[in-house]
Amino acid sequence: MTFDYHEPRSLAEALDLLGRHGDDAHLLAGGTATVILMRQGLLRPGHVVALRAVAELGGVSRTADGGLRIGAMATHRQVERSADALAYSPALVDAFASVATVRIRNQATVGGNLAHADPAQDPPPMLAALGATVTVRSPRGERTLPVDGLAVDHFTTSLAHDEVITEVLLPPIEPGTREAYLKFLPRTADDYATVSVAATMRLADDGTIAHARIVLGAVGPTPIRARRVEDAIRGQPTRRIGDAIAMIADDVDPVDDLRGSAVYKREMARVWTGRALAQLTR
Amino acid sequence: MKFTHAATVAAPRDKVWARLMDIPAAARCVPGVASVRPSGTDKYQGTLAVQVGPVRLVLDGDLVVTARDPSSGTASIRADAKDSRVGGAIRAAMDLALSEKEGQTELRIATDLAVMGRLGEFGQAVIKRKADQLMQDFAECLARQVIAR
Amino acid sequence: MSSHRLRFTLNGQPREVAVAADRLLIDLIRDDCGATGTKLGCAVGVCGACSVLVDGELLSACLLPAVFVDGRSITTVEGLASDGLTPLQDAFIREGGFQCGICTPGQLIAATALLTEKPRPGPDEIRAWMMGNLCRCTGYYGIERAIARAARPT
Repeated sequence: MTFDYHEPRSLAEALDLLGRHGDDAHLLAGGTATVILMRQGLLRPGHVVALRAVAELGGVSRTADGGLRIGAMATHRQVERSADALAYSPALVDAFASVATVRIRNQATVGGNLAHADPAQDPPPMLAALGATVTVRSPRGERTLPVDGLAVDHFTTSLAHDEVITEVLLPPIEPGTREAYLKFLPRTADDYATVSVAATMRLADDGTIAHARIVLGAVGPTPIRARRVEDAIRGQPTRRIGDAIAMIADDVDPVDDLRGSAVYKREMARVWTGRALAQLTR
Repeated sequence: MKFTHAATVAAPRDKVWARLMDIPAAARCVPGVASVRPSGTDKYQGTLAVQVGPVRLVLDGDLVVTARDPSSGTASIRADAKDSRVGGAIRAAMDLALSEKEGQTELRIATDLAVMGRLGEFGQAVIKRKADQLMQDFAECLARQVIAR
Repeated sequence: MSSHRLRFTLNGQPREVAVAADRLLIDLIRDDCGATGTKLGCAVGVCGACSVLVDGELLSACLLPAVFVDGRSITTVEGLASDGLTPLQDAFIREGGFQCGICTPGQLIAATALLTEKPRPGPDEIRAWMMGNLCRCTGYYGIERAIARAARPT
């Protein structure tokens, strides 16, 4: 590895560095992914722009409208231990707490996680199920996008090279909504999921399903939204859920790997979606 | 890793064959291919740039047509390429088969891909996905080229 | 490649080291500072052998750029006890918490961080916290017993 290390103290300075060095610059957040890729020689930037000294990127706090703001440089552990995050959604805390080990959670950041776009990560499906948006800054200004517009393929986001994720914003949760994050980990406890399911659901007064959002991890090149199942159960009584679950097979696109065969993952997507929805309607 | 890809071209087999066997032209249909030059009989030298997320590879290598049979519409190609900066290499043995049905041609490519060195750390799922994308784009581009002529 | 002058404390001792931008903390600790108690295992942050505390926070030295510790305090296994052994170290001896010893520095650092955060962890909490520190010898029960023993009120 041979590079110049920069530690800008402001977002403006960071963006200026990205502008100046273009393709030859790479952002460094916590470092859990970047350090490994660089040590393996797969990433070879001439300039590394660290974000750790940009104070405005930190923090986890409730927003005025009852939602939650997570700064891009907040670590997984900070979210895990945040009283504000717990009050907002225990399932969100579960998703962050599920990641790897304490050491990784102390180092890896929320923004870095989203920028890395590993399809088996825990936080993105839960953030998507909660309707999170991501704020992105570049020399051209600021834009927001839904979190599920970020990952477009394995390890590939829709971000331009000079765009920096600054925060994740979660909207206030409608009263009566229940959330769950389930992670199927047949191997070791510190691993990525074989299949994970993040789901939110709210019932109407008559007991039918008013709102359902189901997002699966580790079964496609990006987190997969189970739209077919969602459409099938919306407005239906909860006893109809069982009929709809099988549709998940058409939404997911898993591959064979060390965590399971594609066939197995497809089946487990069905099983674990069923469990998540059962938990939400208990 | 072994995989097969298939594509249908709305053109007769001999036209598809002719286009396929024009290696430098056909190679331009693979996204990221640059400068394919003949380097001997049935031998070519070229470069393939591939990107997965932030990781950029530049594979330099040779392509050899090891067998061809116009009458059966089959050919075999062997490619060896390496990215010396990253420290990895690929070796691909491809069997191509063209079959005609009602004026359309089906192109099947069976590939046996070995990924060596650092590149192998990528993980099969990512490599296979990339190969799928490249093959898909190649087949679609080839089909467009043949029809356009 | 840029070079950076780092000022930090290692086990309470102030240190000043100039490092290249690509230096990792594990190499700073072992080679630049000579504190070889911290071990390099998997080099990808999974095994826990390189566990260290930075400002009390449990981290993998193999994944941390050295430049990240400027202005911070690092604790390694050599810095756990100022005089004799800590109750945790003593418990590891009494409960058979180690055999070859290669994972032990990491186990001790991780367990120290656990007991600092949660002085009386239950068995599930011990397991959940310590699951990131692999051991090839003991089968883990001795490690768990040692931590539980150290957590018991004296």
